[in-house]
Amino acid sequence: MAALLRGLRAGRALRGLGGVVAAPTATKPQCSGLRRGFQCAAARLQDEAKSDKPPSSSSTTYHEHYQAHSAKEDTAAASQEDSASDPAAEEASRPNTSYQDQGGEQGEEYETEEQLQARILTAALEFVPQHGWSMEAIAAGAETLGLSSASTGMFNNGAGDLVLHFIAQCNSQLTEILAEQHKQVQLGQAEPKKTADFLRDAVETRLRMYIPYIESWPQAMSILLLPHNIPDSLKHLSTLVDDIWYYAGDRSTDMNWYTKRAALTGIYNTTELVMVQDSSPDFQDTWNFLDNRIQDVVNMATTAKQVQSTGEAVVQGLMGAAVTLKNLTGMNQRR
Amino acid sequence: MQRATHTALYYWSPMIRQCLTCRVPVQLSSRAYSVVPPPRDSEEKEMLDRILRVDHAGEYGANRIYAGQMAVLGRSRTGPLIQEMWDQEKKHLEKFNEILAENRVRPTALLPLWNIAGFALGASSALLGKEGAMACTVAVEESISEHYNSQIRALMEKDPERYTELLQVIKEFRDDEMEHHDTGLEHDAETVPGYWLLKNAIQLGCKAAIYVSERV
Repeated sequence: MAALLRGLRAGRALRGLGGVVAAPTATKPQCSGLRRGFQCAAARLQDEAKSDKPPSSSSTTYHEHYQAHSAKEDTAAASQEDSASDPAAEEASRPNTSYQDQGGEQGEEYETEEQLQARILTAALEFVPQHGWSMEAIAAGAETLGLSSASTGMFNNGAGDLVLHFIAQCNSQLTEILAEQHKQVQLGQAEPKKTADFLRDAVETRLRMYIPYIESWPQAMSILLLPHNIPDSLKHLSTLVDDIWYYAGDRSTDMNWYTKRAALTGIYNTTELVMVQDSSPDFQDTWNFLDNRIQDVVNMATTAKQVQSTGEAVVQGLMGAAVTLKNLTGMNQRR
Repeated sequence: MQRATHTALYYWSPMIRQCLTCRVPVQLSSRAYSVVPPPRDSEEKEMLDRILRVDHAGEYGANRIYAGQMAVLGRSRTGPLIQEMWDQEKKHLEKFNEILAENRVRPTALLPLWNIAGFALGASSALLGKEGAMACTVAVEESISEHYNSQIRALMEKDPERYTELLQVIKEFRDDEMEHHDTGLEHDAETVPGYWLLKNAIQLGCKAAIYVSERV
């Protein structure tokens, strides 16, 4: 059983590496020779342009890590081979600990790969102020958990994985907070807030989670804009907005569902942008901006309603005029 | 799981949804259970979402078709008959609105399109006279019944016990639609000129609408 798991994990790590190796192998040997050369930069750009290849920054970081660990030659093949054996060696050491844990417990302590990745990424967040959103932060995080820094091989998407993990974590924290508030209201222990206030508080709470990382947040935002990260980041954004509206009490089943979410997405994104360049104490400018945007949306909704009721009144007036006209001309009589 | 129990206790009146500056009123539902079981994984959620979304779109469309027919034939002899069928469709739509709200299902983005298309179909078929309106009813109701039947089959194949309440709702609605279909036939639907052409054209349109509403 343990051997099977070991094999599976090694297989997965190798597949992740395989992705790196699969990248234009023709350019890789050249790359290693002229590491800071123009061709390497071109290859790097080419790699990053491809949507489902891992960013070659991870392969060059492999390089760096490997250099840091041992004074081997700077050949891509050698480093990749060694990186392949490194996680394998590391894999061999890990099942040993789970053996110990297993003892008589039949492997209940076995952790899935997703859980392990989550743990590493959470640990890596601590190093983000220092290293930015990068593989270095992930490697440092892995090291604090007692794993080899080569376990970064698990993360095909590198910094993107880290940013997406952080965003998912923030979203679930917000959902917990909103659910708790909702429960308080239902138990009658708190007053229900007005929708505008609720939205403002929810967006503020969510954006405040970025404050510890605000220096490097522009980097994170640009990582999220990379083509291969866009679907995931949009998905996180849409679940965030859906959750906020749900707890704000929205139960619409028509076009309002879409317009409300679109409005809140706009508010959230613009406020986030204001926040990254805000230097006022405690981001007061950002919260003022948020207040104003929400007020705009409220005004727009009120205006829309007014326009609709005016329109209806006008139509009624026209119908009345038409009927009067028909009566006057005698067209309404049945002959 | 917690969310599901909260939603079960949360009944949101559709009239109040527009107001952004209103306080959020909390009303307890009379039901203690939910028609749809909380999904176990994202695959099941997606399947249920599709089913509910397309059913909601279907009832919304049927509603608009009858509205179109009433706009033309409202004051004729068939007015009360069409009104009765329309009222039943309104009840179906209300039920689906409730279910969608409870289960946080996204409604189809094409609702405005179905609004206009449904009304246009209803009105234009009614312009062909009472028989035309009945033929349209027959075609649409046959499509919808077939569609509900395939959903019932799919849910029964998966897990009839888990989806008991949902199956009950769909079966009840399917029976209502079959009744409308039979009513249409009784009232000389087949005597309209070009019946075969009209029926097949409408049914093709319905199939396309169902296919698209499941996805968009």
